[in-house]
Amino acid sequence: MIQTPEFQGTHLWNRLSWAKENLEMYRSEYCVVYEDSMDECAKVLHPDPNWMACALQGGILPPVSSYWELKKDEAKPDFVKHTRGPELLHNMKPIGPMTEEEAIEYLIMKDVPESVWREWDTGNQPKMVICKKDQLPPTREWRNAWKINPELKIAA
Amino acid sequence: MSVLELNGRVFDASTTGTLTLTSEGGATTTDVTQGLDKSWVNWNCTGTAAVRDSFNHSSLTDNGTGDFTLTVSSAMTNGDYCRSGMAGHAANSQQVVSQAEANTVATATQGRYVIAYANHNLEDSAYAGVVLHGDLA
Repeated sequence: MIQTPEFQGTHLWNRLSWAKENLEMYRSEYCVVYEDSMDECAKVLHPDPNWMACALQGGILPPVSSYWELKKDEAKPDFVKHTRGPELLHNMKPIGPMTEEEAIEYLIMKDVPESVWREWDTGNQPKMVICKKDQLPPTREWRNAWKINPELKIAA
Repeated sequence: MSVLELNGRVFDASTTGTLTLTSEGGATTTDVTQGLDKSWVNWNCTGTAAVRDSFNHSSLTDNGTGDFTLTVSSAMTNGDYCRSGMAGHAANSQQVVSQAEANTVATATQGRYVIAYANHNLEDSAYAGVVLHGDLA
C-alpha cells in the first residue's frame, strides 16, 4: 500500500489531486437510503469511489466536524464567504484510515441532512437505512414512489 | 507524483498559492488557478445510479427521477460558483442539466441538479456530467 505523504497544512484539493493520481477507486457495495421530507420519495446516497479510496487510505480527509463548522458559518445571516477553510480543512490534522463502515458513517454525517442522521431511529419507523445496492428495487420504473419499508425493524 | 517545473519553480501536490502565466496576447499575466475546474463528476443515472469517475466529489444522492445532489470534499468559498453540465442518452434523447436555485440553493459543498428534456420532463440519462468553476475555501 502506498504511503500517504504528510498532508497537514496542504490544501485539501491538492491532497485529492494526489489521491486521484495514486489511489485506485473503491466502489462500495453499500448505499444509504433516507427520507427527509414527507412530500418526497426516499433518497439514495452513493459514496463516490474516489472519495472512498481517500477514506480507506487515511491521512487525506479532515475530521467530519470541520464540515459541521463550515455549515454553521454558512448559516450565519452575515455570511459572505468561508474564511476558515485553512483552519478547518487544510491545516487540521487529517484523520487516519477508516474501515468501509466508518467511512460510510462519516459520509452520512457529512452529506446527509443533520435532521435525518441525528434522529434516524426516533420516530415510528427508521428515516435512514444502510443497505447493499442489490437490495434496491431492480428498476427505476416507480422511482418517485420509493419509500423505506415501514415494516423494517431497527437492529439493536 | 507529477511535478511541473516553470522557470526553476517546482509545482507538485504540496504547492500552495497561485500560478500566473503570461496571458494570451502577452500583454499581461493570467491566473491559472482561477481557470481550473475545481470539481467534476460523470455518472450514470440509469438502473442504480453510479459515479463513473470524478474529482473532488464525495457523494451522489439520487433524489428521484432525473433529480440528483452532488457534494464535494474540498469546499468552495460560498455558493456563488459556476455550475455547468450536460446529459444524454441517445442521438434523439438529449437532456440538459440545470440547477433550480429558487427551490434548492447551492451551498459551498452541495448542489441539487435536475436532468430534463426541453419540455421539462425529468429523465434518468445514461450519461450525466457536472463541472464546477470558482473559488475554493
